[in-house]
Amino acid sequence: METNRVTGAIAGGVAGTAVLTLLLILLEVQTREQIQAFDVIARFVGTPGQTTVGFALFVVAGVVAWPLVFVAIRDYIPRGPDPAAQGAIFAIVLWVAFAVAGRGDLSGPILILYAAYTFFAHLAYGFTMGIVYGHFRGGSQTSREVYAQQ
Amino acid sequence: MVSIDSIPGVVLGGVLLAALVAVGYLRRRRRTMADGGYPTPSERETELETEKPFGLVRWFTTVDHKDIGILYIVFGVVAALWGGTDAMMLRTELITPGKTIWGTETYNGLFTTHGVTMIFFFALPVFFGIANYFLPMLIGADDMSFPRINAIAFWLLPPSLVLVRGGLITEIIGKLLESVGLSALAYPLLALTPIDMSWTMYTPMSSSLANPQIDLALLGLHLSGIATTMGAINFIVTIFAERADDVEWANLDIFSWTMLTTSGIALFAFPVLGSAIIMLFLDRNFGTTFFALEGGGAILWQHLFWFWGHPEVYILVLPAFGLTSLILPKFSGRKLFGFKFIVYSTLAIGVLSFGVWAHHMFTTSVDPRVKASFMAVSIAIAIPSAVKTFNWMTTMWSGNIRLTAPMILIIGGIGTFIIGGVTGVFLASIPVDLVFHDTYYIVGHFHFIIMGIIAMSMVAASYYWFPILTRRMYDQRLAQVQAVLLIVGVTVSFTAMLVIGYLGLPRRYAYYPAEFTLLHQVATAGAYIIALSVFLWIVNFVQSARTGPLVMDADVWNLKESGQFTREWQWFERQLQERRGFERSTPRTPVAEDGGSGGSSDVGDGGEGGGGSDGRDD
Ligand code: HEM
Ligand SMILES: [Cu+2]
Repeated sequence: METNRVTGAIAGGVAGTAVLTLLLILLEVQTREQIQAFDVIARFVGTPGQTTVGFALFVVAGVVAWPLVFVAIRDYIPRGPDPAAQGAIFAIVLWVAFAVAGRGDLSGPILILYAAYTFFAHLAYGFTMGIVYGHFRGGSQTSREVYAQQ
Repeated sequence: MVSIDSIPGVVLGGVLLAALVAVGYLRRRRRTMADGGYPTPSERETELETEKPFGLVRWFTTVDHKDIGILYIVFGVVAALWGGTDAMMLRTELITPGKTIWGTETYNGLFTTHGVTMIFFFALPVFFGIANYFLPMLIGADDMSFPRINAIAFWLLPPSLVLVRGGLITEIIGKLLESVGLSALAYPLLALTPIDMSWTMYTPMSSSLANPQIDLALLGLHLSGIATTMGAINFIVTIFAERADDVEWANLDIFSWTMLTTSGIALFAFPVLGSAIIMLFLDRNFGTTFFALEGGGAILWQHLFWFWGHPEVYILVLPAFGLTSLILPKFSGRKLFGFKFIVYSTLAIGVLSFGVWAHHMFTTSVDPRVKASFMAVSIAIAIPSAVKTFNWMTTMWSGNIRLTAPMILIIGGIGTFIIGGVTGVFLASIPVDLVFHDTYYIVGHFHFIIMGIIAMSMVAASYYWFPILTRRMYDQRLAQVQAVLLIVGVTVSFTAMLVIGYLGLPRRYAYYPAEFTLLHQVATAGAYIIALSVFLWIVNFVQSARTGPLVMDADVWNLKESGQFTREWQWFERQLQERRGFERSTPRTPVAEDGGSGGSSDVGDGGEGGGGSDGRDD
């Protein structure tokens, strides 16, 4: 059972990180590199300036660390038993840290865009992670009906 | 440097042809029946019902109208979110009068991609999606007339979106390649910067800008036009040929009527745009002079563009009228008032829409007598629009109004349409237009319609049919909040723009005089409210589709009570019965068991005399 949980969490982490990375690249593309999301990441994980190292740490955290933390504290996260909803809530906490630690010298109006967009991206991360995790933890079909009775 | 120019065209053409032949060969091998014939409708049905593959393969190979409808809707929503990001960036840039973040170049790119994305890839695809899903059910057909053409028409859209918006994506790929030392490959990619000639693509600017991305965008737009035309033909044929026996023209439902008219307009308008785009493409690349001074000149482009462009606004708004006329009676507890006149006014708009294009050209050198005639028709087209508005109001009059989320949105949409329409009538008068042309007043005018009745009717439909689409119910409280937020956001944002334009500020500039700061900030605040409402819609939609309460009784909206339990809901009821063995909610409702033509209660909300009384004897 334990390995099942760990595999599920990591699979969720892979999917979630892929979605988050894609969305951050899109943000980068769209704003024509005004936000420098990957420097934000580097600052967030504590290696300002070293974008590549920062990115590697980001992937490790997104794929392994956060999902395991998520699984460990899942019972305390509201909106259960739906892991996707819980994942989204969990990701909001991550986003607060990301937004505060990573904002660097962004200021003024672009901060609004940055905050809103990264918020959305983090929700997508947590939600995807939760969905995939839930999938590994015994089929979505029956549990779906369970949520419906909540 | 490897350049595409250095590869002989013959080779490229040969490769392309070979690829097509290979595809055709593979398809033929897979598709031909044992007897060498084509699948008959019943065989097609078997294929659809039992052999639908699972997972991604299903979505890539589907020819079922419901699946294609969902693909269209998802595609349209993705495009809307992307175009919406453009809009939020535009509004953020305009928070301060000077350079806030991006400055002129990116600002020009943003309003161009915003306009093109929303017009070509959001509004029409979503309506085509809704129609694909529900129109066959409403007219009692098994599927669209040409399911495979239907699938092709959809699958042309993703590549056209990528072509049109390619500049940004290639920029990043180019930079990536450059960073790993492949500058030779990166160079052509970096030469493609986002298009910035505005959605009207006026010549001579569009024919002289060097950016090669414009050529790709033109090809993408052309492709999307082909897709639209194919879709339109399919709708027309389906409505003519696939109606169930008891669906006459007289009781054809109102949404199908508007889709028929819309498709008719599209059939005449889009080929013109396609030709104009090809001419512009030739001017840019092959030295023709269609739009050069010694050829037709810049005015020719404007004529051709607006001959499509104005009908296009009615292509977009007629389905919204249709959804409004369809949903409004359901929550008013009464039949649509003056059904016949709503149909006639739809057809009238369809014809008249081709006679008004030059009202976009009142400030050009077109002969004043010509302009005057266009002014007359432009004002005349307000009459059929007003007919609809009054019929909607009469439908609600002393009705039993239920303020569900779809109803709030429909009423809000009628309100914003009145503002957008009245400002349009003002603009149709030449002296007024000379003052307001190319100011924010125009932006306010058409956004009251596009973000108003058009977007609102889509969201309303998504709530109204949510149970059919997902078998589940959404969070109704959240949806009501979302509906109100959307109406407030639209009103705040675009009223501010009407005022800004009234004060004379031209549009399409990244910088503006400081005295407009407050008004621009109000408009931006409104835009952020719209963004918030969109976010709430997504959260509600996604989460309810997964975990919302299961719908057990097909009569979610109490439609049997007012005799408006129309065909799509009867289909839904049969689905619930067959798939889950649920009991029918009202055993006495005579729903035909043969699954095909249905009983008299099948008659939609069409025609005053239409059936539906059967459901009322509760
Ligand atoms: C029903 C849906 C309608 C939509 C979606 C719509 C949309 C638009 C759009 C997109 C433009 C801007 C063109 C540009 O880029 O310059 C525009 C301009 C205009 N609209 Fe409408 N419109 C609608 C209804 C009307 C009506 C009912 C009238 C008049 C009776 C009208 C009259 C005008 C005029 C005269 C202009 C040109 C203003 C100018 O460029 O100076 N519109 N409309
Ligand atoms: Cu027009």
